[in-house]
Amino acid sequence: MLRFDSVYKRFPDGTEAIRNISLHVPKGQFCVVLGPSGAGKSTLLRMLNGLSQPTEGSVHLAGEQITERSVQRLRKRVATVHQQFNLTPRMSVALNVLSGALPQVAHWRAAIGLFPPELRQKACRLLDEVGLTPEHVNRRVSELSGGQQQRVGIARAFMMDPAVLLADEPVASLDPRISRGILELLHRQSRNHDTTVLCSLHQPELAREFGDRIIAVNQGRLVFDGTPEQLTDQVCEDLYHGALAHKHDVPEVDEAECEPELELAAA
Amino acid sequence: MKPSANPNWNWLRPEKNMMKNLSVNRDAKWHLNQPYNARHLMFAIVALLILAVTGSRMEVPRMVQETAQGVGYVVGLNEESSVATGVMRIAESIWPLRISEEIEVSRIENFDRNDLPWLSHVEVIESRTPHLNTETLQLEETVESKEVLVKPIGYLSHVLLKMLETLEMALWGTILAVALSIPLACFAAANYAPNRFIYNLARSTISLFRAIPELVSALFLVLAFGFGPIAGFLALGIHSAGFLGKFYAEDIENADRGPQEALQSIGAGQIKTLWYGVLPQVLPQYIAYTLYILDRNIRMATVIGIVGAGGIGLELKGRFDMFNFDHVGTILVIIFLTVIILDQFSARLRSRLM
Repeated sequence: MLRFDSVYKRFPDGTEAIRNISLHVPKGQFCVVLGPSGAGKSTLLRMLNGLSQPTEGSVHLAGEQITERSVQRLRKRVATVHQQFNLTPRMSVALNVLSGALPQVAHWRAAIGLFPPELRQKACRLLDEVGLTPEHVNRRVSELSGGQQQRVGIARAFMMDPAVLLADEPVASLDPRISRGILELLHRQSRNHDTTVLCSLHQPELAREFGDRIIAVNQGRLVFDGTPEQLTDQVCEDLYHGALAHKHDVPEVDEAECEPELELAAA
Repeated sequence: MKPSANPNWNWLRPEKNMMKNLSVNRDAKWHLNQPYNARHLMFAIVALLILAVTGSRMEVPRMVQETAQGVGYVVGLNEESSVATGVMRIAESIWPLRISEEIEVSRIENFDRNDLPWLSHVEVIESRTPHLNTETLQLEETVESKEVLVKPIGYLSHVLLKMLETLEMALWGTILAVALSIPLACFAAANYAPNRFIYNLARSTISLFRAIPELVSALFLVLAFGFGPIAGFLALGIHSAGFLGKFYAEDIENADRGPQEALQSIGAGQIKTLWYGVLPQVLPQYIAYTLYILDRNIRMATVIGIVGAGGIGLELKGRFDMFNFDHVGTILVIIFLTVIILDQFSARLRSRLM
């Protein structure tokens, strides 16, 4: 369903976000991308919905290469669930979910907010599936809690019956208990709708619990690819140890700046 | 204790700094910059020179002298003052304000005595005109009586109607500005402009609109469309489209990228992304800007008529040129009241929205 062929991504400032990643994800698989922050998980995912283009190599979706010509057509089959939810805050829950179907709505209908009845019904059904109640529908998204907002984001993602669902750190801004609920929901929804999922996470426990398959990325390289059982503690250790070593490269805070405060406290 | 690495920090705590100097850091070299240096002195000299040159060209000394004379005259120190007498002459002729309107009956076509306009009555006015009798060489007085139709609030209502026209001009100027600036703003926002050329074109159009003052464009528009409100609201609309376009475009550029990326990533297209990802975010700001522009346009609309572009300004200019200062007084009072009331109203409305 998804295929990366020796993909490289370099940013204009010279940083290499992705270095030679080849990957194939079959249809219906729930694939978790694990890795510390800054490892290149987001960049990997953004290449699939056309928000980023590979510098080298090619990305294929359902057998078709994603190019500048095909991206507008292909990205309609890819839905994304974002870390910061990326909902339009002042708009109602209903309109946010409906905006997930905008590509298939006529311009004049979109302009006056008159969505076809079948889409409205679909939105209500999806909102019910993600566990929101009718009383939420007409409220502004900004009035909801973080977990509820992500539920709205998931409902929006399924409006277009996507073949592929990208979840970019869907639970990074939520607390652990709610995270589990959101991932359970994602897992169930993708099973029911037969969607291929590429979900980036940074918690190994959650990855083991929900992934059919786990890949790990560190500093732009694919460092692990296997089943949840194969993801041993040793692998995780290596992954995050590497991350820590990487962090030490960051210049430390100038101590002289902090010291007077300490002196004052002592005096 | 060692010397602090950050001397700026010591500025904030002078007592501790002093302690340090006395007890530990006697050998350390402390150097505080003088608050003023040669550059500040140069700046002060240049500023004074500019003030002196421009001040003499603007006749500031004469202004001060004559104002002082005027004040002296008012408090009784001076015998005469041209400024004070000028102001007083105008003040005397403004007061009492002109409220009523009188029209000679003989000048009204198809005058119907049984069907007078609302709140009006007919009066007979006798006027005596002295003239010299050529035979007796005596000064004689002839009494002429003429019938006039008196409308007690005739002129006031006329001015109020003109004020209404002014408000309508401002309203349509604002509508025009919004209609012009929304497409301009979309092209002038760097992240939605289709290409560099159109972006620059839109930006420069907006700057051009902003650069033409209303009074100047109204002068030319009056030539094109004739006297009346068309020239007025066109001039207002074009000028304020320059402002609104800039404000709108900047808000589109600064809107949160998240919702826009979410819609772009499913292929919603530029227009729908703007409509669903940007507009809901910026709408309250847009309404506040538009209200401000409406407020500004009302103030501008009152004066734009002076060049013949309709509204109360046209009436003001006409009466001023005819030295009807009592009429001018009424117009000024109405303008002040309207602007004050609207100012309060729009300030309250905007603070609610923000």
